[in-house]
Amino acid sequence: MYRQGDVLIVSVAEHAVPPHVTDAPGEPRDARGRMVLALGEVTGHAHAVTGPGRLVREPGPFGPMLLHLPEGGRVVHEEHAAIPLPKGWYRVVRQREYLPGAVRIVAD
Amino acid sequence: MRYADKWRAIAAATGPADRAAAEEGVRLAYGAAGLPAPDRIIWADSPLAGVNAVRALEAPGRSVRDDVRTRPWADERRRVHDELGPGGWTALWTGTGALLWDGTRALAERIRTGVVDALLEKAPDDAAGRAGEESRIRGVLLDAVLGQHDAAWLAAFDGRSDRLTGLARVAEHAGWWWPFEKAVVICERPLRLHRDEAGRLDNGDGPALVFPDGFALYAWRGMPVPAEFLRELTALTPERIRDEENAELRRVMLEYYGYDRYLAESGAQPVHRDETGILWRIALADDEDVVMVEVVNSTPEPDGSHRTYWLRVPPTTRTAREGVAWTFGMHADVYEPAVQT
Repeated sequence: MYRQGDVLIVSVAEHAVPPHVTDAPGEPRDARGRMVLALGEVTGHAHAVTGPGRLVREPGPFGPMLLHLPEGGRVVHEEHAAIPLPKGWYRVVRQREYLPGAVRIVAD
Repeated sequence: MRYADKWRAIAAATGPADRAAAEEGVRLAYGAAGLPAPDRIIWADSPLAGVNAVRALEAPGRSVRDDVRTRPWADERRRVHDELGPGGWTALWTGTGALLWDGTRALAERIRTGVVDALLEKAPDDAAGRAGEESRIRGVLLDAVLGQHDAAWLAAFDGRSDRLTGLARVAEHAGWWWPFEKAVVICERPLRLHRDEAGRLDNGDGPALVFPDGFALYAWRGMPVPAEFLRELTALTPERIRDEENAELRRVMLEYYGYDRYLAESGAQPVHRDETGILWRIALADDEDVVMVEVVNSTPEPDGSHRTYWLRVPPTTRTAREGVAWTFGMHADVYEPAVQT
């Protein structure tokens, strides 16, 4: 389990990854060729992963996003130290905040 | 993604319209729909002024929004969908329009609500009269082509459709517009747009969105607030916050004032402390308690300090770890990051 600011990256055992996810198309990469886990709408600062792999949007208990890094990778952000990630599958979780009657996403 | 970035900037563009380019776009869009160019192009300084201008039009002919916008979009969507197949279309939309959809739709809806509210200030007092007036205003707003706020759709078709070039040109250079057979009303873009990192309208020092004629929306982290309320924020005291009866406004006051300052000045005591952070509780009259976790950013700021921040968690939270774990949708006993930055 790795945390970079408002994003938590949780290791998932390969056998637990739903079969349809292993064949699902990955999210498009950004202009710099990175997989973007979370993007700041205004500053453009992003939690992003470099290197080979795939980011799959997946609703349900493993969602909203699963990250596959067959050779490992690094998650980077303009304001946080980079974190090296061993190879494997990960679940990507955005931090949220409680509001009475609602919940909202945190953006750092 | 390259189109998403371009259209994200267009959706948020401020400053004077390029009127010549926008008018050329209007004529291109009419031409693509097989219609003669409109006789008159009338500029308005905001969507509010646009609605008034539309209502004041004399003999504009019928609305041609369906011909100019809706039908070409539907046709192009079908064509691209057939060309790429369902999977290809989904991938295209995911990398373009979907990225911009929620933000631009929410902004357009806020503008609509603001226009309706502003125009209803002058409406008759009786309920039936107001309801009739509101439905007429909303009818005009529904007929608008959203210009820059059509960015999500246009991003998906950029580089793929000549037929939508006119619509795209207007969107790149102007705001909302209303196409009729013989006349077009077209709006300037905002002078200023302030949003927070999550893209929500947000400004504590003035309007979050303001058009050249002064039509403005005030918001704090996405929540609509009255203009006079913002003026009051700079002079807040803990007593004033405690006395505010509207729970939503009190929440805004707390955020503006700063939880840390409020905690210090109201003498709040930490409820629980562990290696993940500190749990605080503020009791509020006639409202659920505010329970927050105080956490320290692991990555130092450029000056070497560590930024402390507060996140509100459910009032049932008992420990700091439970609170931090909740913010990631986890139970306290499994939340254990190996590395944090």
